[in-house]
Amino acid sequence: MNAPTAALVAPRPERLRLVGQRRQILSVMHQRLMLGMLVYAGVIALVALRILYLAAFGDHAGRQAGMASLVPPRGDIVDRDGHPLAQTIDAWTIGLHPNKVIGDKLELARKLAALMPERDVIAYLKMLRSGKSFFYLRRRASPRLVEAVNALGEPGLALDREPDRLYPQTSLAAHVIGYTDVDGHGVAGIERAFDDRLSNPATRGQPLQLSISSRVQQALEHELLAAMERFSAIGAAGVILDIQTGEILAMTSLPQLNPNAAGQGSPEARFNRAALGVYELGSTFKPFTVAMAMDSGIIESFGKMYPCPRSLTVGNRSISDTHPFGRPCSVAEIMKESSNIGTAQIAAQVGAERQKAFLRKMGFLSPVAVELKERGRTLSPGSNWGEVATMTVGYGHGIAVTPLHLATGYATLFNGGIYRPPTLLKVDARRPAAKGRRVFTADTSYKMRALLRLVVTQGTGKKADAPGYRVGGKTGTAEKPVAGGYSSTRVVTSFAGVFPMDEPRYAMVVMLDEPQPTAETYGFRTAGWNAAPIMSQTVSRIAPMLGVIPDKRREPDLSEVLPYLHEDAEN
Amino acid sequence: MSVRSFHSVFMASVVAGAALGCYLVSLRVASERAALEQVETQILMAQRDVRLLSTEIGTRARLSQLERWNVRVLALSAPSADQILGDRFQLARLISPERKPAIEAPVILASAPADAKQAPLGEGQAAAPAQPQAQLLHEAGLKLPEMRPAPSEKARPLPLAPAKVPQVRAAEPRAIAATVAKPAESRPADKKAGEKPPRAAMGAMTKPVRTAKVDPLAPIPAGPSTDKASRTDP
Repeated sequence: MNAPTAALVAPRPERLRLVGQRRQILSVMHQRLMLGMLVYAGVIALVALRILYLAAFGDHAGRQAGMASLVPPRGDIVDRDGHPLAQTIDAWTIGLHPNKVIGDKLELARKLAALMPERDVIAYLKMLRSGKSFFYLRRRASPRLVEAVNALGEPGLALDREPDRLYPQTSLAAHVIGYTDVDGHGVAGIERAFDDRLSNPATRGQPLQLSISSRVQQALEHELLAAMERFSAIGAAGVILDIQTGEILAMTSLPQLNPNAAGQGSPEARFNRAALGVYELGSTFKPFTVAMAMDSGIIESFGKMYPCPRSLTVGNRSISDTHPFGRPCSVAEIMKESSNIGTAQIAAQVGAERQKAFLRKMGFLSPVAVELKERGRTLSPGSNWGEVATMTVGYGHGIAVTPLHLATGYATLFNGGIYRPPTLLKVDARRPAAKGRRVFTADTSYKMRALLRLVVTQGTGKKADAPGYRVGGKTGTAEKPVAGGYSSTRVVTSFAGVFPMDEPRYAMVVMLDEPQPTAETYGFRTAGWNAAPIMSQTVSRIAPMLGVIPDKRREPDLSEVLPYLHEDAEN
Repeated sequence: MSVRSFHSVFMASVVAGAALGCYLVSLRVASERAALEQVETQILMAQRDVRLLSTEIGTRARLSQLERWNVRVLALSAPSADQILGDRFQLARLISPERKPAIEAPVILASAPADAKQAPLGEGQAAAPAQPQAQLLHEAGLKLPEMRPAPSEKARPLPLAPAKVPQVRAAEPRAIAATVAKPAESRPADKKAGEKPPRAAMGAMTKPVRTAKVDPLAPIPAGPSTDKASRTDP
């Protein structure tokens, strides 16, 4: 740098030249040293700056990341009061890494077989010698078992926690809630229908609130189960609906299913009879036929008379009654004694087209419009809908719907005539009720109250009455179709009702599949003997919870029907 | 001169001090934030524990379990329509107005001393004026034992009360009467065993003038004559 250039000065003597060279070398060394120092200082400065930055803005060492909030791996499902129906918990799993096992394998196999007896020693030994890298020994192990396994002290045994779906109420509303597979994906019920909503990180923090009420559900399940056992039925189903909003307060299907171990349940148990199973529900259809006729102007008063012979032959089919009149009878009597012959004539007057239109408006010709994916396709005469079919459909044969359809139909009939699709999600300010469509006139809806109350006070449904709660409804006994006709011993009995009848609020359908006669039913297997009492017992349990105050002095106005009951009809 | 030469040192130390101050502030902030985060984490952990425990409680107290207990042990059933009342008027209807036999007794109590005074005036019996004042003074305190003659009088209101009162009420007056009657009978027997024989005799006849015979708790002197008779005899 400071070295003088050769051109400016005279050539120097040798000694001086040497000196100049030394100085040049020195200066280069200085330059390099300086550069090195700058680089060093720069690095130091970088480190210092980084430290300062971290000190000012960095996180501290002990911070626990990953606990930002308490969002479960899968959203909770709660009932309408907020009680959990499905939750995700951290469960213990016990795994086995055969390659990492260091102890005596036979000894370990013995100990494992003692602790977890679902496999024997040989199976464990095979696993240990298989050379594979991993086996699940037990998922959702109890803490006590985990402790015992841990005490074995074998590094090849892996104890882990993984999220697991727990249904704290076990079998309660199992068919509504559904269940998940081992990987936590919903495969049935609400778990399946709302799988995205429950697993999406954005929405799963908020529990999914159903319209189901645990207590009502429990009451219904208990009473149905008791009846199912008492009458040795192969199955049962029940639905309770809020008729104003269409909310399903309870829906059950028996035999029971434990969603915590859904795999253990039989296919029969996993089948949802309430929403997926379709049944010919028999006489419970008759109120619809009468309401259709009233709406069409055919019946203007319950005093209208129809000839009721002991047997009616239409086409190649003969219709009979369990309580044959053998004389002209009024509409009130037809309903009270559940006369097929009378109802068939009313249905014939309504006509196939009108009947179809009404049924379509009530949603009876399509799968029920509920959130579940398990929805049964209804069966109807289809293209065969002639006069005979119209008559049989009029009293509930030749058409098969789900119990949920029937409950929706009763809700439609008694809430003033407006169809609303049933829903399993709670209806409140955030989620208003679905828009309805009018099916029956309000006047028809009002008049039907007296008719169905009459069935319970004086007709076939006497055992359905819960004192003070003004239950109204209709029994239905339908023979099950078997190869080549109908079976007389295999029946489906049902009761569809509404309470309190003077101001209807809740519709309820109960159904027993193949109940057997018992001594206390005097050998009968009709709905009045086995399905109707379920209604009575359930209503007297749930009505106080639902805020229906019992009052023995209140009754719907029966003056529309009482005058049309003839003496000899009352026995 | 010397000060100027140290100028840069001062500047450097001031800057270093300021930097240190800033650093300390930020350190403080960071540690506060860390503490806050720790608390938040603790809250979350606590919430998780709460959730876990409530899950466990909910599972153990599941409705089907409660139902099972109810079926096996408690046997509670749904209330019948008669057990549920709509409003307070229905509640009030369940209770019939109360008779007042119990209230009449205190009234007697108040009138008893007055009766003792007036009786001599009104009826002018011979024995009445003879009562010394001392007797009246005695009465204020411990007259209960003197109830002995009362049973005959007591018997009168008792049959009356149950007869008038509806059956449900009958238990009450009887109970009251029993409590009244008992001290009256038992006290003389237990306490003053020594005095018993004379008093029993007195019950039938009359003798001692010393002790007061007016019973403040005695029933109404419906027939004042009996009362007087016992008192005036001495």
